[in-house]
Amino acid sequence: MKVGIPKGLLYYDYQPFFHTFFEELGAELIVSSDTNKDILDKGVKYCVDEACLPVKVFHGHVAEIKDQCDLIVIPRIMQLRKREFICPKFCGLPEMVINSIPDMPRATMAPLYALSKERLFQWAKVVGKEVTHNTAKLSKAFEAAVECQSNYKKGIDDDSYPIKVALSGHPYNIYDNFINMNIVNKLKKLGVGVVTEEVIDEDIKNREVSKLYKKPFWSFARNNYSFTSHMADQKLVNGIIYISSFACGIDSVVIELIKHNIEDFPLLVLKVDEHTGEAGLDTRIEAFVDMLERRRS
Amino acid sequence: MKITFPHMGNVHFAAKALFEDLEIDYVVPPFSSKASLEIGSFHSAEEMCLPFKIMIGNYMHAIEEGADTVIITGSCGPCRFGEYCELQMNLLNKLGHKLDFIVVDSPGDIGVKELFARLGKISSSSSISKLNKIRALHQATKVVRLIDGVEAKARYLAGFEKNKGECKKLLNECKQEAQNCKKSQSMLALMNGYMDKLDNVALDNDKNPIKIAIIGEIYTVIEPFSNLYIEDKLMDYGVSTKRTLSPSWWLKNLVLSPTNLNQLDLKRKAKEYLPLMIGGHARECIGEAVLAHDEGFDGAIQIFPMGCMPEIVSKAILPKISKDKDFPILTLVVDEMTGEAGYVTRIEAFVDLLERRKDNVLSRC
Repeated sequence: MKVGIPKGLLYYDYQPFFHTFFEELGAELIVSSDTNKDILDKGVKYCVDEACLPVKVFHGHVAEIKDQCDLIVIPRIMQLRKREFICPKFCGLPEMVINSIPDMPRATMAPLYALSKERLFQWAKVVGKEVTHNTAKLSKAFEAAVECQSNYKKGIDDDSYPIKVALSGHPYNIYDNFINMNIVNKLKKLGVGVVTEEVIDEDIKNREVSKLYKKPFWSFARNNYSFTSHMADQKLVNGIIYISSFACGIDSVVIELIKHNIEDFPLLVLKVDEHTGEAGLDTRIEAFVDMLERRRS
Repeated sequence: MKITFPHMGNVHFAAKALFEDLEIDYVVPPFSSKASLEIGSFHSAEEMCLPFKIMIGNYMHAIEEGADTVIITGSCGPCRFGEYCELQMNLLNKLGHKLDFIVVDSPGDIGVKELFARLGKISSSSSISKLNKIRALHQATKVVRLIDGVEAKARYLAGFEKNKGECKKLLNECKQEAQNCKKSQSMLALMNGYMDKLDNVALDNDKNPIKIAIIGEIYTVIEPFSNLYIEDKLMDYGVSTKRTLSPSWWLKNLVLSPTNLNQLDLKRKAKEYLPLMIGGHARECIGEAVLAHDEGFDGAIQIFPMGCMPEIVSKAILPKISKDKDFPILTLVVDEMTGEAGYVTRIEAFVDLLERRKDNVLSRC
């Protein structure tokens, strides 16, 4: 059986889990290629106009591999932590995709709640049955996948640069080098190091979030707010760059919260969408870095 | 303490009845208008959604009239309405207004104790007895149910009336006069009177008007200014409209939701296309579209503010329903840049299309 995994959205966070799980189940994996112009064009063609760039890109990834596989993994990630959500578009992702793209193979529709190992197994059981009916194999694959995921470390923490910026935003905007036009390399060329949210731990997140009037109910909001707040507060970086997709509902709130919180700490908000021009992005980054250098001297 | 609240359709009648019965000082902000939207968009972040901006406009107008406390409801669903309170507080503080916010949030997230403490802030400024307070609350829910009933009836009968414009006239008169009523008692009497008047409107039973269901995001379908008075426009065209979402529907849904017995029919209808609750009212929107088709409506119009996350998902699903059931659905996205002329053209074209389909011009080809 051929299982297709689109390289979009939270793939960047949970790729070891999905890869190991389906490989252990004995399926042949078909992973879409890294995001490119062709994938973006396909996404824009099929996806509903109002959606944000990452969702369109995800549609493109699905469209690229849909004809080569029997089952396509569209993770409907509902919750990662108790009383927290991701984004309504994640919850309705399978419906969005299968109603927008014609001639789809079977897709995984089960909701994924990663609140505990037991809840996650519920998802694995439903999805695993599509591939194998051997329950022992399924449990083994699940254990291996969880194990592999927990050993997975990602995140950037450059120490060797004189100027450092905190790179904030949703994981798929930070790690998809097509969406963000390879911003990490661009910054490195300018002599700027990058720190991402993975460097701070849960205690700090809880502490920062508790300063808010209302506990944020999005995981992205919690991560990005606490990360930028901590970095600015402790002056661990020289500035913050926030990559946000155009018309992102969550970011419209989070950026306001961050701006209110950090006051005059340097913050650059980069909006990306399918029309973003690279030259304009370069100019903005260069200007921001110039400003950081001047502030330092 | 002078309480105010943002506008949302008929909510202000219930609030007026409630605060007058409770003998609490209050301000009803002037109706949402271009002016409130302009003030709101001037101060709000660019990418916030339309309801946020109109609400800010409402607050600013109410502050001019002396309001110092705002009551809004919260939510902890994945839709951004739940974060409104915090952003609005920050924004108004920054503008130098000392406003007290009372956020009525779900007890699951803030705790029952906190919820009662917040509600206590409102009721402590009222001097009447506890029993009368409960009665006042009960009367207010009656008011909102009744005015929603009057409105729904008028909108539906508009397609059948013999004398064109009668229903609209009655509805407008009712709303106008209710604003001058004191206390819930007289308001209820007035609305009941209008309910009777609507029952006696001369109807042409041979008529077979176009029937359209209004579906979509709750604020933009309920608050008439935000959808550029679409229901009034359709009344003028002699179209019967139905809208499931209303303040009284919301209240019922809220009370029933812990038992999971809320909106059983909508959930059942939506099951085939969107089986899970994804936030906002996306599932309801899908359910309403299917329900409208089953009830013999000619078409549906979906309205949502630009960037609304849950409704984008339903927008992706609606074409499938439209295709499966041969049921025309028009999507209108509104924001502060919406131009009325383009908007009206689209509605007119849609009504024309439905009219032609009725005469079997298109359905045969």
